[in-house]
Amino acid sequence: MSVTEWRVPSHEIASMTLTMFTLNAFYGLALAMNMFIIASGLNLIFGVLRVINFAHGMFYMFGAYITFTVAKSWGAPFFVGVLAAAAALGLIAFAIERLLLRHLYDKEHLMQLLFTFALVLLMSDAAKMIWGTDQYSVGYPPGMGGAIDLGFVVLPQYQLFLCAIGPLIAVAMWLLVDRTRWGRVVRAATQDREMLAALGVNVPMVYAAVFTIGSALAGVGGALAAPRIALVPGMDATIINECFIIVIIGGLGNMWGSFLGALAFGFVVQFGTVLAPNWQDVLPYLLMLVVLLIRPWGLLGRPEAGH
Amino acid sequence: MKYSVMLAAVGVFAAGAAVAQQPIRIGVLYPLTGGGAVYGVPAMAGHQLAVEELNAKGGILGRKIESIERDDKLNPASASSTMKELITKDKVDIVLGGLASSVGLAMSEVSKQEKVVYISTIPKSIQITTDKLHKYVFRTSANTDQEGDTMAMLAGKNKLSKICHLELDYAYGNDLEVGILKALPKYAPDAKIVLTLKPKLGATDFNPFIPQVMAAGCDGVLSGLWGPHFVSWVKQAAPLGFFNKIKWISGGEIGSHEIAGELKGEYPDNVISNAYELWYHGNDPSHAAFQARLAKKLNTQETPQWAALGYIGVMYAAAAMEKAKSTDPDKVAEALEGLSIGTPVGKLTIDAKTHQANIGQFWGPMVKKPDRAYRIMEPAEYIQPK
Repeated sequence: MSVTEWRVPSHEIASMTLTMFTLNAFYGLALAMNMFIIASGLNLIFGVLRVINFAHGMFYMFGAYITFTVAKSWGAPFFVGVLAAAAALGLIAFAIERLLLRHLYDKEHLMQLLFTFALVLLMSDAAKMIWGTDQYSVGYPPGMGGAIDLGFVVLPQYQLFLCAIGPLIAVAMWLLVDRTRWGRVVRAATQDREMLAALGVNVPMVYAAVFTIGSALAGVGGALAAPRIALVPGMDATIINECFIIVIIGGLGNMWGSFLGALAFGFVVQFGTVLAPNWQDVLPYLLMLVVLLIRPWGLLGRPEAGH
Repeated sequence: MKYSVMLAAVGVFAAGAAVAQQPIRIGVLYPLTGGGAVYGVPAMAGHQLAVEELNAKGGILGRKIESIERDDKLNPASASSTMKELITKDKVDIVLGGLASSVGLAMSEVSKQEKVVYISTIPKSIQITTDKLHKYVFRTSANTDQEGDTMAMLAGKNKLSKICHLELDYAYGNDLEVGILKALPKYAPDAKIVLTLKPKLGATDFNPFIPQVMAAGCDGVLSGLWGPHFVSWVKQAAPLGFFNKIKWISGGEIGSHEIAGELKGEYPDNVISNAYELWYHGNDPSHAAFQARLAKKLNTQETPQWAALGYIGVMYAAAAMEKAKSTDPDKVAEALEGLSIGTPVGKLTIDAKTHQANIGQFWGPMVKKPDRAYRIMEPAEYIQPK
């Protein structure tokens, strides 16, 4: 097939104008922020519980679908849908942690992996039962469906909102983990949970809270992604890979690392797809490869002691 | 000795009787989980409707039909192994279905190896009925040459001069591109393709592509972005006023009610597209009755178009076996060549040489109606290959 000859050399892209550069940088940032919200939850859970939660992508999908039900089927405001997604995912996650996951902390990693993988299958069937296999669409919240004209470039409002909400969540998480007593307990739990328990801290509840918050973040991420994409079964599959890439690039367990990882991911995917469209499938993996070659423990991660 | 001969004879008779009463087994694969389920599930519903109707009338050749349904997971490797299992373990007499072109090509390969008839009911890649054509494969859906030809014709009719071309980077997108490029000089000799972009299959983020199309200064887009790809594109492009300036001529059945009914007010202006079947508009007297039965089965008045394709596949399998008076793959394959049947979208004939049915599609602009919450295709013109 000699199709490729018909491709126009992307001269407009090669000589990227200020407008195009700004727009692409902005889109990269918006994508990064949406991804950060989701990945930060996965990262928090791994950092404290040392559990790699394959079902995180499924939590994201549930977040999007719940927003659809609340905001579209029931006609509630979009942000009520976002809160409902966060609350529902928190609740589901809390139940999963208390009833099932807590029995697996002392088991080998393989058991935990199998467990979270089983969750993926169960939840995917549950989603099919609740929402069927139709494709859904959630509208933009009122006043966010347009664009703002800055003269040299036009920026869509909703993506601007994503650019603002990402750093807000990052700062809130930093305050929570680094600046509160509860945060100190959480950080201590990553170091030595036996000692923490001996000091009278209810470690199981700390674990439950972390799993709940981390999963609620996946729900929020899905809810916030909902207006800008089509909701279909299987939307969990790619997102979980991308989250893993972000968390690994940033350094496992490091929140600001995930933030940096998400930024790297967003810009590489956006600019990379524009400049080298044939590489769009491998770009995120290439990024991970390069980062791991230079820093095997991720951008802000630290080599684990004893390894 | 005598007894054993008699017993053997009885055994042979008994076996013969058992064969006569055994059901005819139809194997069918559609994606039932993951992203393809949006289409695979309604296609399967149409398939089941046809099987139920035939069984109510006594089945095929007086034998009941047993439909053995499997998930192809939208994955060629998975479809191959599942289809082999259907043939060797479940001993199916014929295989129907597939949705993605890549899956259709994989299923055709198995059909060739195992010498079992495969009717491709949705996959459109032209290769199935050209380069990769063999004795046992038939197609009852449209193909990429036909769709490309109509899209090129519409580009000419709408006087597009600078065209941006969007295709998904896999079998269907690449083949549709070939089909369009072949036909474009005929219908729109002065039109120029100024930009070709190929997002990946399953992409949800089109922001790397949207600004490029807007900057390219084209007056129209020829697009093969189907289903969720189109929806995500609309959501990301519409805030920029993308659809105010650009005419969007699209294959991939985004004119179907599945898309229009879900996007409702978000469905953009300036879209011209296609659909196999429209619940609100028929081109054949039998359509209304078919649609009513489907509506009853699915419990919704606004039925999905994909059901018709699943339905037609079964009708063809049944007609071929009746004509061949056998389920023998060689005889059924011969019977399918040149076979004409009546369907909810009119009388169809499978070409004896290319194994391609002359199924058409409805094409038209998607317009707002004051009395409806969603857009409809109007006027919807049924375009059938010559």
